[in-house]
Amino acid sequence: MPTVEVDLEDLELLLGTQLPREEEKLNEVLSYIKGEAKGIESNEIRIELKDSNRADIWSVEGIARALRGYLGLERGFKDYHVEGRSGVTVQVDSKLKKIRPYIACSVVKGVRLTDTAIRQMMHFQDKMDQTYGRNRRRTSIGLYDYDLISPPLRYGVAKPDEVSFVPLDFDEKLTLREILKKHPKGIEYGHIVQRFPVWPIFMDSANNVLSFPPIINSNDLGHVTPSTENVLVEVTGTSVETVQNTLTNVTLALADRGGKIYSAKIQYPYGNIRSMTTPNLKGETFELGLDYVMKVIGIQFTLKEIRELLGKARYGVMKASKNSLVVKVPCYRVDVLHPIDIVEDIAIAYNYNKIQQQWPRQLTIGGLSNEAEFRDVVRELMVGLGFQEILTFIMSSPETLFTKMNVKSQRVVEIANPRLSSMTCLRNWLLPSLMEFLSHNTHVDYPQKVFEVGHCVVHNEQKENKTDDIETLACVTIHANASFTEAKSFLDALLTNLGAPYSLREESHESFIQGRAGKIIIGEKEIGIIGEIHPQVLQNWGLENPAAAFEININKVRQHIFSKP
Amino acid sequence: MSQLRENESKTLIALGNAGGRLSVGEIARASELDPSAIMRAVLFLESQNLVLVKEKRSTKIVLNEEGKMYADQGLPERRVVKELVKMGGEGDIDQVLRAASLDESVKVITLGWLNRKGWAAIDKETRKLKLLKEPVEGSDEKLLSLLKEKGSVTLEALDGELKDAVEVLKRRKIVDVHVETERELELSKAGWDLVKRGVETVKEVSQLTPEMLVTGKWRETKLRAYNIQAPVASTWPGKKHPYLRFLDDLKRKLVALGFKEMTGPTVELSFFNCDGLFMPQDHPAREVHDMYFIKDPERGSLERYQHFLEKVKKTHENGWKTGSKGWGYAFSTLEAARLMLRSQTTAASARMLIREDLEVPGKYFAIARCFRPDVIDKTHLTEFNQVEGIILGEDLTLVNLLGVLEKFAKDVAGADKVKYRPDYFPFTEPSVELVAYKKGYGWMEFGGSGIFRPELTLPLGIDVPVLAWGLGVDRLFMMKAEIDDIRYLFSQNLDWLRRVEMV
Repeated sequence: MPTVEVDLEDLELLLGTQLPREEEKLNEVLSYIKGEAKGIESNEIRIELKDSNRADIWSVEGIARALRGYLGLERGFKDYHVEGRSGVTVQVDSKLKKIRPYIACSVVKGVRLTDTAIRQMMHFQDKMDQTYGRNRRRTSIGLYDYDLISPPLRYGVAKPDEVSFVPLDFDEKLTLREILKKHPKGIEYGHIVQRFPVWPIFMDSANNVLSFPPIINSNDLGHVTPSTENVLVEVTGTSVETVQNTLTNVTLALADRGGKIYSAKIQYPYGNIRSMTTPNLKGETFELGLDYVMKVIGIQFTLKEIRELLGKARYGVMKASKNSLVVKVPCYRVDVLHPIDIVEDIAIAYNYNKIQQQWPRQLTIGGLSNEAEFRDVVRELMVGLGFQEILTFIMSSPETLFTKMNVKSQRVVEIANPRLSSMTCLRNWLLPSLMEFLSHNTHVDYPQKVFEVGHCVVHNEQKENKTDDIETLACVTIHANASFTEAKSFLDALLTNLGAPYSLREESHESFIQGRAGKIIIGEKEIGIIGEIHPQVLQNWGLENPAAAFEININKVRQHIFSKP
Repeated sequence: MSQLRENESKTLIALGNAGGRLSVGEIARASELDPSAIMRAVLFLESQNLVLVKEKRSTKIVLNEEGKMYADQGLPERRVVKELVKMGGEGDIDQVLRAASLDESVKVITLGWLNRKGWAAIDKETRKLKLLKEPVEGSDEKLLSLLKEKGSVTLEALDGELKDAVEVLKRRKIVDVHVETERELELSKAGWDLVKRGVETVKEVSQLTPEMLVTGKWRETKLRAYNIQAPVASTWPGKKHPYLRFLDDLKRKLVALGFKEMTGPTVELSFFNCDGLFMPQDHPAREVHDMYFIKDPERGSLERYQHFLEKVKKTHENGWKTGSKGWGYAFSTLEAARLMLRSQTTAASARMLIREDLEVPGKYFAIARCFRPDVIDKTHLTEFNQVEGIILGEDLTLVNLLGVLEKFAKDVAGADKVKYRPDYFPFTEPSVELVAYKKGYGWMEFGGSGIFRPELTLPLGIDVPVLAWGLGVDRLFMMKAEIDDIRYLFSQNLDWLRRVEMV
């Protein structure tokens, strides 16, 4: 979830009212926008915003815009409009089609930017680039001092060594290739363009570089300061819609700082639309049936009430009939995909805590899965036999599963992106998890008897998910006199009580002492293994007491028992 | 005056025989009783004013390894003197040392002692060692042979000369000196009277045996009374894991509320974990830092789900018939077939929704292991359990969702008050966070919930509202078990598991 940094005084200035400084009270206000402030020690606060689609409130200006509605300071649809044409045209190069095809621009004139406002604007730009822009892969933003630029502009391409300019926060000219190597942003985002033979470049008619999208702006032209009055906003990216949505949100944030919006004309050599005017501040409309609202929320609202709640949430109502409304969604609400999104805003504006709740009165019969019922019987018996139940991770490593268990490596389900060297695959048997547990408890009183019923995962090409989940029971007894015989007596008690007669077949298994291990057979099926742990394995785990163990596949045991005539 | 038990009588008699005064160790030797048994007897005898207990401190002196060697072979200076006598009273230093089998390393010390005792000296002209007198046995040597003979001596029992010798040997680091406390028992007047009258002993046994029972001998046997206050060795019960017990209890409550259990695989198709839940394929939460992917094979098979896949694809791209705009991107069926470790229990809900035996109305829950590449610390695990449920039915609304949440908070978690906050999940709208107040804990986030989006339900063939909820069970358990470190859920600490309280 996005976290935004907000200057409280600046927010209050934009809101036109004071906010409570007490955390709980402030969070009641912020809950309207699904936000939560964590700790209010200074004027700078961090707000966690849960909605990862509502890009409009990642700016302090957008937060103020939304809260003004909920706090009753301003109602209804806020109409932003384009004052006129800026006269800027952007010619797009056909080579960008496969690289980064779309661009959108606007000019905002007469903005009043303080240092605080600029800092917040930078935060917003970052947040948009990271989240909505998917780390600049999908969209990236550039802001420029409009008065230093000579239109028309050109969104073109350049070879890595062909063009050089001074990138933001540097004082020497670098080629595009050097930027990817030396500039922090080049290092961070270079991978987006690196695989292409030519890279995007944004230039004016005097051949001055504005920026190298999506990497870095020019230090000369792409620098906004408190003395900047007129701002050129540019967004490039891979989809027309997200590029436009991003432009809208940045442009409106600047407009909320007193600016007037002017459009730019983009000319494409490809696609259906050869010429496009941006920004597009026309919002969409949705038809909303009253029945639908009530069916979702469960409250009998009147048409008037719904209109009021929509106003609080800053929607417009264009038309109303007896049973439905045509709702005008503001252009900045890029998160609204379906009428359900509008219904939620109605419920939020009404306030969840005012709703009289009711337990659903439908009658259903509860029950555990068959696996769970059987698992619980097995666990009860093991506890009765004096074993302590433990809980371990399903993720493991070949070191734990094979090397330390003294057996040859087998094919396991491996993780493509592991985080820890001890958790690189899924375990295919459970006993190693128990041995690891014992290795951490050598200082604890013996005898120790532990068990777990846990999941193991193995390959199975026949299955849709290419694996089988196996539930197994493993137990170990470890103390000065532990032996195969003891383990067998536990196995015997368990399987007798489950009504599953078994036999043992001698087995040579490197984890166990030769001649003291066997496969456990039920019916004709092999369901597990039992044995006295090999001294080498004990030594590998740093254990200084003999141990004996068994592991059985309880799915197979259950199937056997319930398939009996 | 109560009758004396066997051990008490024996102790008393031993004291009487020895003239009324003995240490515990001495009684043990005289009576063949175990010192701990004597101490138990003494506790009783003392309470009856039959004996007086005095603590006696004594300083024990024993030879250490070096001391034992000197006791056997003589002090180095004595050995040198002996050799010098053999050589006629004078000899080369190194030659003498070799003859006395002394090492070069003790040369300086030996010469020092010869000089200090005035036994021999180096002639300034000839540089030879010259015997000055044939010495008699010193007190240090006397003590050494006494120690050799007795093994140990008590400082307090030595005469003045030998006492000083102890200091000398201590400085030469060839004896160990330590203080011992011994309890000495003395018969009181009443004790003496009793011993003189004759002590009556009752034969006692500690263990009742099958033989006594079979033969009826138990009738003539006195079973010894135990000190029931005495501490015993620890023993540990077989126990369920406390966190799993908590989840068992939660399951019981959910079943009682009419929920059926649903399950799903550990290795999951992205289709069920993400796409079917209307999570766009370029969503930040679908990247490698939020989900674990399977290395080989990378993809599973969606063959069985072609029918749903087509609708899900269209819904993502343009909203299909759901009334949604969709996400507006080109959906990849390859991406949907990608295999991953289940990152949220909602995957099990998605599977349930397409099952043929799905009941409407119906309530289902799942408790499942989920996996996310978090760094493990006090509040994060890379593997954890999630509890989640769905409720489907014709007329379910947000009003019911809040009802479900309130019931969970109050009935399942024992909260006193609840509050709802707008929340966000990619697959629900409206979404609600449950915040509950519990006395002693304050306000806490208990779980998240919502109504599944039409973009999720319609492509999966569900045309009734589906309420979905998830509970923060880890937090609930940690609160109950009074632990503040989430790693205890998978604790590798057997001692904690053995001791953790069950109620």
